[in-house]
Parts: sequence; C-alpha cells; structure tokens
Amino acid sequence: MPIANTPTTVPVVVDEDKCIADKGCTVCVDVCPLDVLRISDLTGKAYMKYDECWYCMPCEADCPTNAVTVNIPYLLR
Amino acid sequence: MVFEPFEDESDFEVLADKLSDPDPAVRRVAVMDLADTADPEAIPMIASAIADESAEVRLQAAIALGEFDGLEAATALCRALQDSESKVAQAATDSLSELKDPDAADPLLALTSHENPKVREGALLGLKQLRRPDALANGIEAMKDPVAAVRIQAVGVVGYLKAEEALPALIACCRDEDPDVRRTSVGALAFSKSSHAKDALLTALNDEDWAVREIAAEVLGKFAIGTSIDPLIALLDDPYWQVRVKAVRSLGKQRVVAAVARIGAQLGEPVSNLRKEAAAALGEIADRSALSYLENLVNDPDPDVRKNVRWALTQIE
Amino acid sequence: MDDLRAGLNEVDCDLLVIGGGTAGPMAAYRARKKNPNAKVILLEKANVKRSGAISMGMDGLNNAVIPGHSTPEQYTKEITIANDGIVDQAAVYKYAQNCYGIIEELDQFGIRFQKDENGEYDVKKVHHMGTYVLPMPNGDTVKKALYRQLRRARVLISNRYMATRLLTGKSGRAAGAIAVNTRTGEFLVIKAKAVIMCMGAAGRLGLPTSGYLYGTYENPTNSGEGYSMAYHAGAKLANLECFQINPLIKDYNGPACAYVAGPFGGYTANSKNERFIECDYWSGQMMQEFYNELQSGKGPVFLKLNHLHKDTADHIEHILHTVERPSRGRFHEQRGTKYSEQMIEMHISEIGFCSGHSASGVYVDEFARTTVPGLYAAGDMASVPHNYMLGAFTNGAIAGEHAIEFADDVDFDDFDDAATSLEQERVLAPTRRDDGIPPNQIEYKIRRLVNDYLQPPKVTAKYELCQARLAEVRHDMETQMMARDAHELMRSMEVASILDCADMAAFASLYRTESRWGLYHWRSDYPGSNDVDWKCHVLLSQENGVMTCEKKDVAPYIIPIGEDEKDAYYKQRITAQA
Repeated sequence: MPIANTPTTVPVVVDEDKCIADKGCTVCVDVCPLDVLRISDLTGKAYMKYDECWYCMPCEADCPTNAVTVNIPYLLR
Repeated sequence: MVFEPFEDESDFEVLADKLSDPDPAVRRVAVMDLADTADPEAIPMIASAIADESAEVRLQAAIALGEFDGLEAATALCRALQDSESKVAQAATDSLSELKDPDAADPLLALTSHENPKVREGALLGLKQLRRPDALANGIEAMKDPVAAVRIQAVGVVGYLKAEEALPALIACCRDEDPDVRRTSVGALAFSKSSHAKDALLTALNDEDWAVREIAAEVLGKFAIGTSIDPLIALLDDPYWQVRVKAVRSLGKQRVVAAVARIGAQLGEPVSNLRKEAAAALGEIADRSALSYLENLVNDPDPDVRKNVRWALTQIE
Repeated sequence: MDDLRAGLNEVDCDLLVIGGGTAGPMAAYRARKKNPNAKVILLEKANVKRSGAISMGMDGLNNAVIPGHSTPEQYTKEITIANDGIVDQAAVYKYAQNCYGIIEELDQFGIRFQKDENGEYDVKKVHHMGTYVLPMPNGDTVKKALYRQLRRARVLISNRYMATRLLTGKSGRAAGAIAVNTRTGEFLVIKAKAVIMCMGAAGRLGLPTSGYLYGTYENPTNSGEGYSMAYHAGAKLANLECFQINPLIKDYNGPACAYVAGPFGGYTANSKNERFIECDYWSGQMMQEFYNELQSGKGPVFLKLNHLHKDTADHIEHILHTVERPSRGRFHEQRGTKYSEQMIEMHISEIGFCSGHSASGVYVDEFARTTVPGLYAAGDMASVPHNYMLGAFTNGAIAGEHAIEFADDVDFDDFDDAATSLEQERVLAPTRRDDGIPPNQIEYKIRRLVNDYLQPPKVTAKYELCQARLAEVRHDMETQMMARDAHELMRSMEVASILDCADMAAFASLYRTESRWGLYHWRSDYPGSNDVDWKCHVLLSQENGVMTCEKKDVAPYIIPIGEDEKDAYYKQRITAQA
C-alpha cells in the first residue's frame, strides 16, 4: 500500500532570525525528550520535523536566544 | 564499524578557540558548552566571557556560572551583577542565588552597600543561602536601606542566621512602612522563643495588611504564648477568613479551651475551609464544651468538614 | 540525520543503568560514589539533560518524610492502607527511612526546596495523619543539577541509544543489554556485571481523550520498554491490574495538582462548587469517587481556587504555570481561564502502568532487586507503590549502591552471541520492508482498543474481545510494520512495547477475579473485594514464551495496622457504581 503525506500543523515554531543553530548551537534538538526537532540542511536553522510533541517546553526554556515558541497542539487547544 | 558511544569528553583547547571567535554567536555557544562540562577548569574561561563586548555573551556567561560554585564563580558573578545591561545583572542575581559554598560570600559582602540598589539586592540574595555569620552585620545595616526590595533581602540574610542579637533589628522591621518587609520580618521571628519576639507578633496581629496578620497568627501557633492569647482570639473577628483560618489553627495547636465558643461560632461560616479548620481545632483542644457545636455539623455538605468533625468527636470521647 | 547505517559496537562495564530520567542518574551517581573505580554506563534513548518524567521539572514533593512532620512508621501505614493492604512494607519503610537524606543531598545538588524565613523546610500540612508536601520553587532546575553531578562523577553517558532487549547470561544472570541508536540505527551491545532498569512508566498505553497520541499524562517517551524488557528477560511483574489513572486538567492532560493547591485551601469540586472526595489518600478509591462524580449529574469536576484571595490564587497559578508543565499557562490563556476567576475543568487520564502513582511495576524487594539475579529496577517501573519522584531518587540510590556491590563480587556472565544477531534482525525487520504500515497507525489502533475495551470498568467479555483484536494487531506488527528511517525505527520499537503492555494489562486484570483499589481494578463481573482469595500480590511472567500469572503472599507487616486504623479507612469507602 502506498504511504500518504497527511498535513498536520506542528506546535513548535522557530524564529529563524534569532536561531543560531548555524553557529553550532544544538540546544533545542538535544533537550527534546521525544527527539522531534532537527536542524535543516537547507537553512541551517532548527525546525520541528515530527508532530510528536508533549509541549513540555525545554526547547523553548533552554534556547539561548528565545527563538523557540511551543504552542499547544491544535487537538488539545 | 566502530563508533564512539559516549558523550564527548570536554576539549578545552577547542572551546578556548571558539571563545575567541569573531562571531559573538559562536562565543555564546562556546560558553554553553563550557557550562556543560561541569568541570571547575571551565570557570576562569567563562569568567573571562563576563567581560565580553557582546551583551549576549555576557548574559550567557552569567547564566553559565550558576552551574558552578565557590569564590571564583562568585567573584565573576559580582562583576556581572554590576553590568550595565539589566538582563545580564538579573541573570547574575539568579545565579548568585544558586551558590552554596560559604567561601563565595567574600566578594558579596563588599557589595551590600553598593550605590546601585539592584546590586545590593542581588548580593544580599546570594548571601542568604550561604549563612555566613559575618554577614549578620551587613544584613542588619541593610535592613535600614532606603529601598524596600533591598530590606526584604536583608531580612532574609538575618532570618537565616537565626541570631538572637539581631532580634531588635528584626522587630524594628516588623513596623516597616512596606507590607512585604513587615511580612518577611514577622515570618523570620519564628526561630526566637523570646518574649520580645512574642510581643512583636502580638502587635503584628493588628497590622493593617491582612497577609501580615495571617503570618503573625500562624507563627504565634509555634510559640508558648501563655496568657497573651486574647489578641489571637480577637482575630476571629478579622474581616479576612484567610486570617481567621490561621488564628483558628494556632488556637487549636495551643489547646486554648477559652476559645472553644468563639471557634465554634466559625462553624457557621460559609467558607468550608474555615469550617474544616475550626472542626480540627476543636478536636485538638478536645474539650467537652465543643460537643454541641460539632454535633450540628455531622451532616455538613462538605466531606472534608464531616471528616474533621468525626475526627474531633473521637478526640473528645 | 536519521538515515539508517549498519554498525555494531561492543563495550563492557561493571554496571549498566538504563534510563537517564530520575532514578537512573541517581543510581549511576551513587554507584560511582560508592566505587570510584567502577565503570558505570548510563544509557538514555533521548538526552539525559532533559529526559524522563520530570523533563521540565517538578513543583514539589508529595511524599517527603521529614523528621518533626511525619515518621517512617506513619508513612508506611498510610501507603499500606492506600494500597488496600497489598504492600510488602520492607521496601516502603526503607524508602521512608532514606528519603530525608536524599532531600538533603538534592538540596546540596542545588535543587531548592521551599524554606521559611529561617531557612527551615516549609512542609505543608494536607490532612491529619501526616504532612508530606514540600514545594520546590526552582523545581525547573532538577535535571540540570542532576546532569552536573553525573558529569562530575564521570559517569559514562550514552545518549540516543534505546535498549531493546536485556541479555541473559548462561548462568541465568542479567549480562547486559542490546541497544539501537535512535538517529542511525547502529547497534551497541553492552556487557555488564549488573543492570539497573530505570525506564519509567508505561504512559502511552491508553489514548488521551483529545485523540493526540502524545497528549498523555506521562511523558510519552515513557512507553513501557522497561516493563516489556523485564518480561522478556523472565522477570516477574507485580499487580499490573492495578492501573494508573490520574486526575488532570481536561484536554490539557497535565496534572491537576490538587496537592499543590491543597495547602493554600484549593480543592476539587463538582459543578455545584462542593467538595465530594471522601478519601484522604491519592488512591484508586479516590479515583473511583472522581469517576462516579463525573458520571453523575453533578459533574463535571473542577479544580476550585476562585474562593481564595486573588493573590493566593495568582500565586498558585504562577507555581503551576512555571515549573512542572509550564505550557499549561499557555493553554489556559488561549481558553481565557484565570484560576482566580473560574473553576478549572478536570478529567481523568487514560490508563497506564506506573508504580509511582499506583502499584503496577516490575517486582522488586527492598534492595531494588528484581526476580532475575543481577537485574535491578527503580522509579516508576519498579513495584514500590506510590513512590513519585522522591521515591525514584531514593530507590535509584538504593539500587545503585546495592548493584555496584553485587558487581564487585562477580565476573561477566557469558551470553549467547546468537541472541544479539537474532535481536538485531527483530529490531531491523521494519526497515527491511518497502511497503507496509507505519508505526503511528499501529500504535493508534492498539491504544484505541485499550480505551474501548481495557479501561475500567473492566468487563470480562470486553477483555476477551480485546485480546483477540490485539493478537490480530500483533500479527500486522510482526509482518507489515514499516520504518523508513532511524526515528521511525525507534517508534516501531516503542509500539512493540506498548502492545506487550496492553497484553499484560489484559491478562493480569482477567486473573484477579475480584475488585480492588477502587477504579484501578474495578471488575463489573466481580464487584466486591475478596480478601480470602485475593489479599495477595499477582505476579505476571512468561514461561517458555507463554504468559502466566501466580499469587504471592503479602510479606508479614513490619508496621502493624491497628483495627481502628483500618476501620477509619473502611468507613470512607464507597462502593463502585456508575
């Protein structure tokens, strides 16, 4: 059976102007207990790759430049 | 194929290079990596970043030093506390409150009379946890500070040292113009069992601020207040039920039989928290004169009240 | 990142600790402190900096036994009563005796507990018998402080490795584990003289009412691998029918934290603003009362703070919104709810296994030993009941010290190399398929079935249907599950654990033909409790690959419970009813 790509709005948003992942920072990716954040090969900035979020917030709290915002997943809001 | 399964050991040479990178973001990441090593060798390197030209790097260094302890970290944090950027100074204040090593007190003692009140406040906050006896004089002096926030921290330093000789200063602060200073000072009297402290607490029962009256009533519960209970009983007329709860609780702890009727009257109050505490206090006092009040409440709509009534009845029987 | 690579590495150590959340770091740290020459590896499938149930922090202790406020004897009695008498007291008593030392040690680590103006612990009174609540104003720094200690103690930290099976030596001892890298799919075989499992709750068992797979009460990374791995290694698991079900904020699925609000005068109320909970203890009995109220005309149920002074309500709101689950502030903001103004709607959580809140865990004694020699367990997955965070720290410490002593006295127990290659094949099977079902769909289906059939009230006919359906899903999982990268491979392995836990939940629940622990094990076909036949533990294990259950007597009490004390409790009991 073929696999579909069903769209989903993800809760974690990264402000690319503030993100310093391209300078070697990996804090948000490291601290996510579900390992759902990645650094984009294209932009060098962090983004949420998998919609598997506990909205627990270490990524936001530990980000040194306040680039990360955790929203409540739509299904819970 | 063999790969390294363990976290990197700290490579200070690489981190030192990054710390002198022209890009402040790279320097910032280096400071975070240094903090992660948790190795005291990193302290002087992070301390050097407290003088960085970029406020962001200085901020990161002030946060990072909170991961360490001791004189060297405290000295660097004291510099950061005087930073022209308020966010750096605030981060230094937060980190200073994490210190535990009494040796860290030395540079802080020099800052309790600094011209900037934020610096004085941060230094006193740091000193509080360190409990250094020689900080008592600084604390007592700072209790006369013109800025209330500084006085609150000064009371903190003195309260943690639990020194009877500081009692006059603490009692003076129970009459401070600022309600938060008064509240903190009243709370800090709990360690003393002296009559002076008791008198100050009894006076505080008439404070204009309800939160001060509340804490005074609570702390009095820990004292052997003997014959001076009338002001505590009078507090059962307080307009704030939160204050009455504490008065009831302290009267119960003191087993004041003379207060049974007045406590019993609280059982008719609409706030169930108050009825519950009143029932519990009557149980603690365990006098038969409370039976008539309690029996009326066996069927209270609130299960917690009913439980306390049941418990109180067993105490009396 | 996430592209699959072939790779295998082998390392050995004296002690392997699996799980870098709460109990695990403490176990590894204490083992190194006790024997500074020992090689201790801490394995974690995420990163120890922020992994586990207390990822973001914790707002307080609710089972702190502090001299002057409560005694170990008193605490042991209360836990025994809260757990309907089915408690081996030795482990509870040992916890109660040790936990104050742990609090002081944590304080030294820089984890601050609330103190009064004289610097004394500011323990809060909640009810008559004992006083156990100690707030943690900077509880958001717990993980940071632990990480610092691990680095200083030079524990070897191995992040991003997910253990999939334990290795058993030829003499039957725990001999290590096999793990897979969650970013590359490379394997790590760890040979060890002793193994401590600290792998958390099975929190991804039931489906939250929101339908969002990761909106669980527990950190969803705690997907029950510990339970599943212990089972496959032949360890016995205790009282799995005693489910975890917790009160929580409706939809948000964060804890309701009545114990934080309680000392300030907040409480749980029905829609008529009235308290309704009779039970003094956080227990299945309390959850039964909660459930009954929800089902009755007086529901829904609320956290009530709006009768408090605005300053007090704002203060509680501040604690609840900043420490343990800070995103709840954002949730309420969006809904426009203020704690000082409105009551906050609550609900009950999905089911799970977690000894931390109930009693379902891998069976351990007072030294954290499981029934497999050389294998220890601590924290939410070990059977010491109602243990919470402080229990994880305390029992982690006990496990670490005992296990490193054990490791000193033994040599490596050889294991069959064929076992490691077989396990690699099992793990990689979903990556060998280029057509199939993704793990998230299989997971959704299992958890939907758990909700449909397994959550209480437990009905025999529904349970049997569930077992049949789960067997079908297992077949699909084994023949069709597909993982396209290393991340999906991790999720596939989690799904396998979730399914094992669902099977165990069903099997253990059917075995105990009575009702006990309030809502946790409410069987409609056997509504009463039956002390004659069932005042015992139920141990679940496998024999030659077949699931089996047995009864185990409750160990004689160390702290006797007086008849009057039992009575005080039973007077509060209400019977199960919808």
